[in-house]
Amino acid sequence: MTDGTDRPGPDRSPSGGDPQELHIPRGTLLRSRVVSDVATPLETALERSLIGYATIVPQETLLLSGEARGVITFEEGVPVLVYNTVTDNGGPEALAELAVPGPYRVELYAVEAAALTAAHGAEALRVAPGSVATELADAPDLAERTRAAAPADRHDEGGHEGADALASFLADDDRIEAIREQAREEARSRAAEWGLTDALDTTAGTVEDR
Amino acid sequence: MVEAFAVASGKGGTGKTTSTLALGMALSADYDVTVVDADTGMANLLFHAGLDDAPVTLHDLLIEGTATDVSEATYDRFGMSVVPCGTSLAGFEAADPVRLRDVVAELAADTDVILLDSPAALGSKSAVLPIVLADRTVIVVEPTIPALSDALKVQEYARSYGTETAGVLFNKVRGEFDTIAERTDRHFGGPILAGVPDSDAAREARRAGKPLLAHAPESEAAVAYRRAADRLDVRDGDGDRVADRFSSAVVPDTP
Repeated sequence: MTDGTDRPGPDRSPSGGDPQELHIPRGTLLRSRVVSDVATPLETALERSLIGYATIVPQETLLLSGEARGVITFEEGVPVLVYNTVTDNGGPEALAELAVPGPYRVELYAVEAAALTAAHGAEALRVAPGSVATELADAPDLAERTRAAAPADRHDEGGHEGADALASFLADDDRIEAIREQAREEARSRAAEWGLTDALDTTAGTVEDR
Repeated sequence: MVEAFAVASGKGGTGKTTSTLALGMALSADYDVTVVDADTGMANLLFHAGLDDAPVTLHDLLIEGTATDVSEATYDRFGMSVVPCGTSLAGFEAADPVRLRDVVAELAADTDVILLDSPAALGSKSAVLPIVLADRTVIVVEPTIPALSDALKVQEYARSYGTETAGVLFNKVRGEFDTIAERTDRHFGGPILAGVPDSDAAREARRAGKPLLAHAPESEAAVAYRRAADRLDVRDGDGDRVADRFSSAVVPDTP
């Protein structure tokens, strides 16, 4: 089914180019699941040598300022570009925004190869082959197999893949503070559970950066 | 006694045990170092230190009612004192994690630096005890978003118990690292100790049952670990005071 609906969302170009260049037809829905581990649909895409895309919506949005909705395209099962339709960011930055704890709702779609050609020309949205498995799924083995499956002309993209996404994550002070705050609360509630409340440092948490 | 460090990561597979032994060997040039496998549920330090057949381990020390002396579970290896932990489920189930406090207190009286190879995840009381008991943590992290997220979590857990970060050690680094180091630095209480390159040397050392610094002392990774140890500002402490603190650490005896 190719109904021409711009389902993935990147109907307008974040780089200000031709709004049509990122248009991707809806394609055929292969599966729609809520998964705790995003490695599962990435495995499926790799095994099927998927030509198409995935939409990824984190169900836990606590660590984000708003909702995130990701689109990841695949060529022969290998991720090519990443886009966040909520923030309009693409590439490593979008990858960083989507790298939050699961579960996620993931839908996989197949499209005609020609339908992705224009979108895949958007250099700013591209990511290194193994970076989605590394940063989203925390799956080094899957990342290695994905790199191995990537065409020869993409092998040089893997040198320090993920470094840009990590740099983007580290620059997001609000998100890092949210992770820290959540960890502090969790540490305190687990301490109570384990009978370690008396061992807690009562001054901890009142000083932001020691 | 100078200082006890928990070597922690927040997730598995970061090379924590390799790092613990590498830092231990590097620090042993200047200090009397004791390395303890405090990952009582998933011990693996014994395999890295050629102690697969150790007859007495930390598990034996943690079982109530046994008269085992700490010295019986302490082995001189590679210039360090090494306290391995057994790998049997029965040993883990019989062990009382809270007794780790007494073991550490006893070791503290007779060594300069204690490195506690800590459990990867912070999901249980026994897993969190090393960071409760340590003076400071060394956090081992891979340069990925999931690993850094977990490292931040470890830092906050440790701080909740008054245990500050002594340094962050990046492992399995590929390619450019300066930007990552610079941006990581401000989020942690201690300095970036080093970026240890991804290499086969560590895997080969593990297969050989030797610490990296003994197996491939001139490898790039070994050089990076020695640099990390140099940057770790081991603080002078009063041995008796530290031993006292461990003995009286407010840790209830019942789970």
